[in-house]
Amino acid sequence: MARLIRTEKEVEGRYEEVWLVVEEDALDQWPSGPGDIVGRAAPRITGRQRARGEARYTADVQLPGMLHTAVLRSPHAYARVKSIDLTRALEAPGVRAAIGPDALHVLVDEAGYPGVAVAAVAADTFDEARDAVALIEVDWELLDPVLDPEDAVSRGQLLIDPRRYERGDTERGFAEADIVVEAEYRTQTVLHNSMETHQTICEWQGDRLDVYISTQFIWGVRDEVAEELGMPPDKVRVVCEFMGGGFGSKNGAGDHTFIAAELAKRAGRPVRCALTRREENQASGNRNATIQRLKAGARSDGTLVALSGEFVNAVGWSGWTATTEGPMQMLYACDNVQTVTYGAKINTPPMRAFRAPGFVEGTFGLECLLDELAAKLDLDPLEVRRLNHAHAGDDRPYSSKNLMECYKRAEPHWERRHDARARSEGPWKRGVGLASQIWYGGGGPPSYAWVRLGSDGRATVITAMQDIGTGTATAMTQIAAEELGLPLDRIDFVLGDSARGPYASISAGSSTIPSMGPAVRAAAADAGRQIIEIAAQRYDKEQRILSLKNGHVTSSDGGSWPLAEVVGLLEDAQILGKGARGPNPAGMQVLTFGVQVVEVSVDTETGEVQVDRVAAIHDVGRVINPLGASSQVEGGIIQGIGHTLSEERLLDPQTGTILTQSLDHYKLPTIADTPPEIVTELLDIPDEHLTNLGSKGLGEPPIIPTAAAIANAIRDATGADVRSLPISREEMLRALREARERAGEKVAAPAS
Amino acid sequence: MVELVVNGGSHTLEAPVGRSLAETLRDGLGLTGTKIGCNEGHCGACTVLVDGVPTLSCITLVHTVEGRNVTTIEGLRDHPLVDSFVRADALQCGFCTPGQIVSASALVEANPEPTREQIRHGMAGNLCRCGAYPKIEEAIATWQG
Amino acid sequence: MQLQRPETPEAAAAALGSGSVALAGGTELVPLLRNGLVRAETLIAIRDAVPRGIDGTRIGAGTTLAELEADPQIPQALREACSLAASPQLRTMGTIGGNLLQATRCWYWRLDFPCYLHGGERCHARQGEHREHAIFGNERCASAHPSDIAATLLALGATLRTTQRELTVPDLYRLPTDDNRKVTTIEPDELILELDVPKPEASTYLKAMDRRQFAFPMVGVAAARSGHSVRLALAGVAPIPWALGSPDDLDEATPLTGTAYKVEIARTLVRRAVEAVS
Repeated sequence: MARLIRTEKEVEGRYEEVWLVVEEDALDQWPSGPGDIVGRAAPRITGRQRARGEARYTADVQLPGMLHTAVLRSPHAYARVKSIDLTRALEAPGVRAAIGPDALHVLVDEAGYPGVAVAAVAADTFDEARDAVALIEVDWELLDPVLDPEDAVSRGQLLIDPRRYERGDTERGFAEADIVVEAEYRTQTVLHNSMETHQTICEWQGDRLDVYISTQFIWGVRDEVAEELGMPPDKVRVVCEFMGGGFGSKNGAGDHTFIAAELAKRAGRPVRCALTRREENQASGNRNATIQRLKAGARSDGTLVALSGEFVNAVGWSGWTATTEGPMQMLYACDNVQTVTYGAKINTPPMRAFRAPGFVEGTFGLECLLDELAAKLDLDPLEVRRLNHAHAGDDRPYSSKNLMECYKRAEPHWERRHDARARSEGPWKRGVGLASQIWYGGGGPPSYAWVRLGSDGRATVITAMQDIGTGTATAMTQIAAEELGLPLDRIDFVLGDSARGPYASISAGSSTIPSMGPAVRAAAADAGRQIIEIAAQRYDKEQRILSLKNGHVTSSDGGSWPLAEVVGLLEDAQILGKGARGPNPAGMQVLTFGVQVVEVSVDTETGEVQVDRVAAIHDVGRVINPLGASSQVEGGIIQGIGHTLSEERLLDPQTGTILTQSLDHYKLPTIADTPPEIVTELLDIPDEHLTNLGSKGLGEPPIIPTAAAIANAIRDATGADVRSLPISREEMLRALREARERAGEKVAAPAS
Repeated sequence: MVELVVNGGSHTLEAPVGRSLAETLRDGLGLTGTKIGCNEGHCGACTVLVDGVPTLSCITLVHTVEGRNVTTIEGLRDHPLVDSFVRADALQCGFCTPGQIVSASALVEANPEPTREQIRHGMAGNLCRCGAYPKIEEAIATWQG
Repeated sequence: MQLQRPETPEAAAAALGSGSVALAGGTELVPLLRNGLVRAETLIAIRDAVPRGIDGTRIGAGTTLAELEADPQIPQALREACSLAASPQLRTMGTIGGNLLQATRCWYWRLDFPCYLHGGERCHARQGEHREHAIFGNERCASAHPSDIAATLLALGATLRTTQRELTVPDLYRLPTDDNRKVTTIEPDELILELDVPKPEASTYLKAMDRRQFAFPMVGVAAARSGHSVRLALAGVAPIPWALGSPDDLDEATPLTGTAYKVEIARTLVRRAVEAVS
């Protein structure tokens, strides 16, 4: 029965209260442990298409008569358009349409950051469009940019009121502490750099609009475009069949989509608007830099008695203020916690969600601080974490939490630190560090799926979701196959088109499997029920003794009939199943947990850091596809290594120009930077309270603890406190120098 | 006009000097398996073989490969590496994968049993933002099944 | 734009200059053309015009870095420098002649700031973001020379033959001056044809970079020993490849605030390189 509820909806750590119509989730969870298909390794169903170059990404969509767009972007961090003249651009060869700030809301006449779109041209070829853009004449009035987030905070230039949180009495907590550690941590701005840049093709079909887009949220794009253009949502069709990576940067429609729609309308032709790599690295979002001034007070046994943090998020000209303070509030049991978070408005490109926004940054600070505390108290960092384990959430219980089990599984990896240190040789010092992880990942309603089964005994699962490369299409197919008792190759999975399936959730916030999986299972179960009803009549059996297994309808009294035989009599008739995602458990926090243990080598003379081994132990509920899941974990860790060691967006401090637009300057990890060994251990314990699957999301957890674990391993190896990301050679050498000076002071101290 | 030999077939196309091989393959011949990731030679997504040698097609002018043998992913669709990549789950979003497989095909052609170090050295020019690297290494190490 | 394919060095040289630019592997020129940093009416594809291949100590300028990396005749330092340079694809495309003439990776120059090297008044990097920049010869322009190969050839004492002359590696490079912002002495109509790279008794190339492969040098150190004399040269530390008379010459470095760490790295790599060839 459909039910109207008022519930909290969480995406990327942001909660909102919404009214939702949900359907009851009538199915019991499968027993824990691998089933016939779920819980067993499956290569991805679209693997061959992708590997053979047959998969059609948005970048590969070519429509007859399609035009190409070039965008004029502000070369200035802060400036006003006094006048703009498109005349020469409109007259240039191949140009079909050109628009400026008066034509479209996303084209601005006040540029608040370098790279913001000001005007756009559609032409027969991209080269013609680009050449025409060069002919646009703009008279700029230059304004003084604010580029330093601390400067913005002191001026009160903020995107939100300072966000304050307090529980208990931190002042008293610190007063009662045996030891207090304080430090300032900094994280840099990093860029998503999906291999497929942001791009959209818009084609008008009368009063309908087809939008082909590289997106993480087909339905969000539909709604955003419909609202902006004042259209009924179903007049907007959104298509994304294959998608070349997003990592949070493609949650929304993006300026380029509105530019393409407007130019397509004016030119009467389909229009592609695709960002170049350099545009991508200016104007498609980032993980914003943070400054974190943190303080921890503890008793001498390591029990935390107070935590406080002041967080400055360098958000940019717009964007939201991610919960950098989240880990400090949530990860440990501590009675007295106080945080304040500032969202600095500066003349830099707006942040966008990037794989666990806020928590990646906040975990770096908090988990480094905890190790600095452990070092001061001469305590084992793993024991300090156990000692401060939060057994219950703030006011709501956890739907499930197996972090202590993660710690237990971490022990053999953690034990390796003695051997690792012993392998230090000459300038190369080795060590081991760890860090814990907490994050969301419960997903939520609404999400729907349909299952269609014909007389050939093959099933088609249909839902208008997107697979952004995480392997969710494969996982969904496994879920349907398990429920229908069908081998994987007898299921087709159809996704990627809002005109060809029901509403599906965003692929962000580690929510795709927990949101979509239960809906797919429910749809498959609905179809399965109908198969059994038919079989019961055909073979004169009671429904309750029939089940679906290995492509057969099986009776507990010994009968077994191939599914094709059972449904063969359908001819053109079809079995149609539908399923919806049920509600989240009321009054509970649904969270993911984990710990990573990292081994590093540091060349103490050149500052080179190598990550030798990572063990990642995460508690994300039931695992659908262990193979795909390990790929997700490895990918998160490798992105985390890039974040920790080599990636950084740099600005010219005078003009705000982004200097690292190209991939020679913005250094993504290569295969050579990959640790020789990554061990993935997922607990695979279903969350008994969460949906008919007990699965949480896994996309984000693996990137969260990596930076802190690396920094803690560096401290273990060298005694140096690295507090700033990335840990470049310069930062590593600085920290080593500081550690030497400190050691020198200690040695010198008795003499003085 | 430019005459191209791609995957064994000859093509004559109109292209101004300055047009890249990648654009020509994708837009002129509809061979969209070759991807453009950065368009300046820094990512490897556009890798094709020219006379068997891994080449960045985004910074190769099409006129300079006239008469030479160009092999794209479409010409390598039945290469055993395709199956080993799928088997090892050596791809996530898959956008870089055709370029990875083209590079890997040249690597194993020259050295059918590369060591892990040789794989890392030979594949360092193909970026994968999803971080499928451990499994790419695995797929190449086990390409012969 | 036009494309010509001369088949002899003489024909190529005759075609060069006045709007005609030589195109070899294209790894540097094609992006520069696309970004408007180089303009050309005619591209002279020199693949068929310039010698390619290795014969004892002689290397054709059209030889690719991949070919050098693999050839046992080549001194160790040069093989290592090639192996650590760029990416596999760039090494199969890029030629040694072209590599010597590549422009700096300075982001200000690449983004076409009106900087000193572009003929402007001042170096934007000196006051700006300059962690990748120079510690020597950086008074007017703080750009860093990106070629691992050029520094190595400098240490190896290589000589070059062009369509016009023979010259040493130090003769090839110059610091930019107020009246001439170029960093090489190659004329617009001059082509490098061949290199002669004497074989030292021992040589090595050590490189610090931001990731383990596929990055330009933060600091590269080439060392070559013949008898008791060790010749040292550095990449990534000055607007041109930088010869170091002795390890102590690092005391003469003039780092900027953000490049001081490079001196520390250079000291270690120089010491290690000297040890490796001794």
